[in-house]
Amino acid sequence: MQLTAIGTVTVMILLLGTFLFARETLGKIGQNITGKIEISAYLSDKTTPADAKRLISSLKRDPRVRSVSYIPKAEGLRQMSERLRGQIDTSLLTSNPLPDALRVRVVDPAQVPAVAAVVAKLPGVADVEYQRDAVERLLRFVDVMGKVGLAFVALLVVTAAIIISNTIRLTVYARRREIAIMQLVGASGTYIRLPFIFEGLLTGLAGALIAVLLLALGYWQLWQKFLQALPFLPLNGAAVDFGLFVFELLAVGALVGIIAAWFSVGRYLRA
Amino acid sequence: MISLRGVSLVYPNGTRALDGIDLEIAKGSFVFLVGHSGTGKSSLLRLLYREQSPTNGTVTVDNVEVDRLRRSKIPELRRKVGVVFQDFKLLLDKTVWENVAFALQVTGARTRDVMRQVPRVLDLVGLAHKSRVFPNELSGGEQQRTAIARALVNNPKILLCDEPTGNLDPVNANEVMDLLHRINLKGTTVVVATHNALVVDRMRRRVIRLEHGRVLADEERGLYHGAAQPAASEDREDLALAARVRNGPGQDSILPE
Repeated sequence: MQLTAIGTVTVMILLLGTFLFARETLGKIGQNITGKIEISAYLSDKTTPADAKRLISSLKRDPRVRSVSYIPKAEGLRQMSERLRGQIDTSLLTSNPLPDALRVRVVDPAQVPAVAAVVAKLPGVADVEYQRDAVERLLRFVDVMGKVGLAFVALLVVTAAIIISNTIRLTVYARRREIAIMQLVGASGTYIRLPFIFEGLLTGLAGALIAVLLLALGYWQLWQKFLQALPFLPLNGAAVDFGLFVFELLAVGALVGIIAAWFSVGRYLRA
Repeated sequence: MISLRGVSLVYPNGTRALDGIDLEIAKGSFVFLVGHSGTGKSSLLRLLYREQSPTNGTVTVDNVEVDRLRRSKIPELRRKVGVVFQDFKLLLDKTVWENVAFALQVTGARTRDVMRQVPRVLDLVGLAHKSRVFPNELSGGEQQRTAIARALVNNPKILLCDEPTGNLDPVNANEVMDLLHRINLKGTTVVVATHNALVVDRMRRRVIRLEHGRVLADEERGLYHGAAQPAASEDREDLALAARVRNGPGQDSILPE
């Protein structure tokens, strides 16, 4: 019965760890991709370079903005002909159809829509564009994954807690004679609870430890191979701080064990 | 010391264990609670150490209204009230010494105090020479004396005994009762619930008779079956018995004084 409890905690922590790791990694990927997304603010014809400079400095003061660059129409045309070379011969154009533009990069991709809205309201800005679809889809995807994953993990935590609780309850029942005598001679509730709380703690910790070792094994063996197979994934460096990660997982295991044990003994003592 | 006012106890299944009990027990008394099985003797004792709460009325033990005690304060009460049962309730995997020390340890006593108190009570009950023995190697009387030692080790003011001689043969029963008598002489209030008429009649102390949850009779120097015999049938044996009780255990007891 003990092994079942430990095993459940192991499974719970394994899935929690995998979920957290995946979330961090996806987040990093998302950031890398969307970090390259730029907001293009097309200026109206009436905006002078001096006005543009004022807009740039006011945007730079916004903490959400990472960088602002000024793309006068000539430069804009040059970049476009580079991009569309072979498809369109821009030398056929008699006049430059492009407006002056500002390219704005943000710190946090989630802020792109908000910042774009702000930029659109600035005086002298005629039009604002960003890869709205891609950004919004990516943000929504990460958000939904986060919520689904969390719900799933919460369910697991509850399951593990129930199983640990049952295991402890069996132990309590097996020792009910001693507990009755302890109550008779005036032992405090805490004194009676302590050994069982300790048992819960050990169960949770043991399960978490096994899970952490398995995760570490998985990381070294599987993840590295995975990355080598898909070198184009925009991921530089580990997504997680391992020390903190391991500590968090062990802490969750220990906590679930302690809380489940506390409830178990408490219910028996009150009955 | 102990006082019950208008106490009633009705169990969830409707059984009326106690019905309008009014009782006072003074400090230092020795009281028998008698009656058939099921008349509420055990229930009354259970109220005194808060194993049960009365449905009505107040129970006061050593100036504390026990029926209104918060759960967290019950351990404190239990340390002031020693309880002894018919089935001894000893921990079978612990020696005599350990069983008695246990009652001290759970209250957080220091080793120094444990080393001092445990031998003292073991001497009192006459089991010092059996400290390292396990309960299953003891006779019924010795097991009960161990239980009594455990009940006394915290120096309680009150000792409650629920059928203490129920599992004992007559010789052991008398030994245990003599021990309880000596404990009472030292100042502890002793309440014994029993349906052992022999033991009650031998001691001639206050006898409270319960029937259907009510106090039927309450007599000093009482007998199990009611009032003392009328003067006409007093004979030498009764006088000798009375003298023995007044003078304390003599030849009857084989325990050290």
